[in-house]
This record gives sequence, C-alpha cells and structure tokens, in this order.
Amino acid sequence: MSGQRIVVLGGGPAGLNAALGVADLGQQVLLVEPREFLGGTPVAERYASITGSFEDAETAMARLAGRLTESALAEVRLGTRAISLEGSPGDMRIGLEGPGGSEVVTCGSVIVATGFQHFDPGRETQLYGYYEYPDVLALQDLESMLKDRAVVRPSNGQPPERLCFVQCVGSRDRNIGNEYCSKVCCGVASKEAIEVREQLPNCEVFIFYIDMRMYGYWESQIYWPAQERHHVQYVKGIITEVLERNGRLLVRGEDTTMGRPMEVLMDMVVLSVGMEPSAGTREMARILGLAQNKYGFIDAPGSPLDTVTTSRPGVFAAGAALGPSDLEDCASSAGLAALRAVSVLRQSEMIGT
Amino acid sequence: MPAPTATADLKVGDVAGYADIAFEEKQRIVSLVIDDPRFTDYLYGCYECGICVAACPSARFYDFSPRRIAQALARRDVRLVYQQIQEDIWECSQCFSCLRCPRGNNPGGLVTIMREVAVNNGLASAREALEGYSRIIYKIMSTGTQVSPDMLQPDAFPDWGPEVKDVSDNLALWRRALPPETLHTVSTGWDVSDQTLIELYLIWFETGALNMIGEVDKGLHMILEEVMQDRLEEAGIEI
Repeated sequence: MSGQRIVVLGGGPAGLNAALGVADLGQQVLLVEPREFLGGTPVAERYASITGSFEDAETAMARLAGRLTESALAEVRLGTRAISLEGSPGDMRIGLEGPGGSEVVTCGSVIVATGFQHFDPGRETQLYGYYEYPDVLALQDLESMLKDRAVVRPSNGQPPERLCFVQCVGSRDRNIGNEYCSKVCCGVASKEAIEVREQLPNCEVFIFYIDMRMYGYWESQIYWPAQERHHVQYVKGIITEVLERNGRLLVRGEDTTMGRPMEVLMDMVVLSVGMEPSAGTREMARILGLAQNKYGFIDAPGSPLDTVTTSRPGVFAAGAALGPSDLEDCASSAGLAALRAVSVLRQSEMIGT
Repeated sequence: MPAPTATADLKVGDVAGYADIAFEEKQRIVSLVIDDPRFTDYLYGCYECGICVAACPSARFYDFSPRRIAQALARRDVRLVYQQIQEDIWECSQCFSCLRCPRGNNPGGLVTIMREVAVNNGLASAREALEGYSRIIYKIMSTGTQVSPDMLQPDAFPDWGPEVKDVSDNLALWRRALPPETLHTVSTGWDVSDQTLIELYLIWFETGALNMIGEVDKGLHMILEEVMQDRLEEAGIEI
C-alpha cells in the first residue's frame, strides 16, 4: 500500500506545505500546478516580502518548493490541471491534463489547495477609480513596485510624496456580497506602509480603516512599529470616493477621530483588496463536486474543529481555497489536510481494501 | 522624528477667538512640542480605544479629549495641534488618569509640554488662562506658599457660612491656637525661612521660571523680579 499516493492540487503556500507534510509522513505525493512555476500567488503576483517576518517572498517560497522537489517521495507536474475525479476514499482516479496530454492517475485521496484571487476593485467599487486613474493601485500592484524598489506614480514616474491605503475594499460589504473579513489586508497594508516609509522616507503614508485587525503577533511585529517607528498615520474612517484634482488624487471620507468630514490630496491611493476564491478554486469545486459556501470558497462542514474535510469523502482542502487565510493559516490547514489525507490511506490499509 | 510638514494636516480651520498667525509660526510652535525630549516617552501610537477619554474627568465637562490630543500630535497635524494649544489643553486638569493607556502613552504629559510651550511663547491662550491666577503666582513665587490664611475673606467665600467672618476677624488668634509654631502665620501658608526663600528665588531665576512669567504677564514679572532682587541683594547675592 505504501506505493499509493496522494494528489495535491495547487503549488502555493498551502499546496507546498500539504505535499511536504504527506512526504514527511512517508507517503508518495503528486503535486499538480497549472502555472509553470511553484510558489503560488506570492510568486505570481511578485510579492515583495512575507507579512510578519519581512523575509523576501520569492526566497521564502523557493525554500519551501526546494524542500519538496528534493524529496524522493514527491513528484511535481507543472502546467497541469485536474479534469475529473472518480472512486472512493483509498481508491480514487483523478484525470489530469498537462503538456503531455491527458492521463488518469490513481490515488488514495486528494488535497485541494487552489487558493484565492485578489478582489477586483473595478468590479463594484467604481468610486475608487482603479481603472480610471493610473495612480490608484491595489495591494499586489504596490507589492510588485516594492519588490523592484521602484515605488513611483504610474502617471508621471515620480516617487509619491503622499500615499494612502484604503482598507476593506471588497470585504465586509453587504452590497458587494463579500460580508467576510479578508483577514490579511490590515497586516499586509501596514507591512507595505512600513516598506514605503523605508524606501521613500520623505513620503507620508496614511491608512484609512474601519478597524485594524492585527491578529496575534502582528500587533508587535507590524502595527506598533508602523505607528511608533515609521510614523504611518492611521486614520479611522473609510474613503467614500477618489477624484482627480490638478493632477493629484483627492480622497474624501470622514475623519471619525476628530468627528468631521475630510478631503485630502494624495499622490497614490492603494486599495487594500480582499480575498475571493480563485478561478481555480471555483473550477475544482465544480469538477470534484465539492460543496461551496455562499462566497464560493470550498465548504468544510466540520469547521471550526475540522477545517479541512470537504463534503466529498477522500477530498480535503487547505489554505485560501477554504476562505480568507494568512500564511500561518495555510501552513496549519495544510498540515491537517496532509494528516487527514494520509490517514485515509492508513485506514484503507487496515481494513484491507 | 520627522518635522511637521505643511501638508500633513487633515483639517483646515482657524482658532476661534484669537488672531490667526502664519503657518510657519504655528509650525515653529508645534515643533517645540514634538522636539521636546520628553515627547518620545509620552507618545508611542494610538489605537483610539478611548480609555483615556473614559478616565478623563475633564472630558465629562468640556469638549476635551486626551485621545484627540494624542492623535493630532501623532499625525503631526500642525494646524490642529496649534488649535489645541490655544484651546483644548487648558481644559485638562492634569490628573493623569489617562496614564492607563494600554500603549503606554501619556496624553496628560503631552498637555504639560504643550502648556509649557504656550507659556514660554506668550500665546494669547496662556495669558488668558493665567490671568485669574496672578495673585496665586505672586504668592507662590514670592513666598513659596500658595494660599495664605489672610486670603480667607468672608466676602470672597460666602458659601463657607457665617463662621468664616469670625475666623477672619480673629485670624492671628486662631492661627496661634495651632500647635506647630511654623503655622502661626497669616500672610503665608506657613513660616518660610530666609534660607528657603533665597534658595527659592535663585531657583526661579536660574531655571528661567521667572522669565516664563514675563512672557504672559509683564507687570507681575516686574514686581516679582524687584522683590526677589532686593532680597537677594540683602543676602549679598548679585543676579
């Protein structure tokens, strides 16, 4: 039975961790990734650094991927996606389509780690002018600039003197339909704010927020240093619209601290976009027949005490395919998914299937 | 610590009641607060939890918020901080209940610094706030005691009842009834020795405290300076 393998769909933080977990437990694992590289969204979107540790994101993801590819029990197929799934736990057949054509692979269980995509700020929140003004960006756009150490206004190539973040774009909004908190944007925006202040010491940085959600150690790793050492200005109150004014951006909102409306000029506006299920997550839910919650993420009926078991026996999920997740969540759910996936094989072994 | 900048403010407004001044002058005054050596120990960051306002007695009676003081300074909002120096800070009772801040901020201490800057720069609000206190300032600086028994006039304290007249008519006698001899005084709170007074006057001169009074009340400053110089000269000390 030890020859039987587990298939992991997705090569991002959760998929890599899940596959590593399976290999560490002594089981063969096949990781399937539609992109031509490992590392997932942090690599695809060119994140500058890991929120919390400030480590270079590409380096961190390469280290994780390297550990997996060095494992004798792991096999990775890039440019490949799942197209079908049949069978029952311990005896499954998954159809794969890749550069070499399609084939059916037998496996004991499947882990879905197909992740999230950034909320498209042009979808509902037209008031922020994401597709209208070149100097209105989203978190991942700024990540990429920070990675290149080239934070400049796309409109004129000049470094900004004033930059602000607008929190909760596409999250916690009944009108948009995403009622959930995307969990990471407060930390990511604050981390980027610190990096902007480090790369452009003369640029003033503001964060307009509803409430700052800096879980656990992010408080002392990110939030307090952002305020106390880097003088990032946190202003409680959300921007209602962004307008162009003499070549700059006028943001309008309420300064709730001081209890009055405000209009402030900015050179760059960064929208702290939330998480939505990736196209891959929606597609896999459909192909594998997994129940989704009302937001499209993969449903874990046993949550919160079992965060990884899906509605289909033998299929587990990990990371942001399950809902908004930070990297710690990805590592945690990936570990649990690996354990559950391997235990399916062990149980099959015991009852002699 | 970055200097306050001309564009950091989130509010445009002028101080009601006082003539407006140039932005550069506001910037200079606010910089004096931010560059004060105590400033970094008094202000870390604020998450607007409001515990300082909840604990603040002044916030119950005035439109005063220690949270707004901390926030305005954290933002380096020059116009707003200047406005607060001219208005809000005089409503703080300096009780320091706000020290219970979970971030370790000291809004009351920020108010202390702001008041010192206001007095040292002779701001209109400082003059106005101290106007009613000239007699007390005179008493403290010239005698080292704040309230003296002879200030206890029946006209001034009708709410104290009819006994106050009897007490003030026979003040010296009542005071002599007190057991400690150092309290047998009527024009000072207690007997202040020559040595104490001379040291006190030297402290007022040397620390610049007397000069601070000059910024807000020139007449009072003149009187105090004369009293002190005469006494110090008698003791053979030249200033």
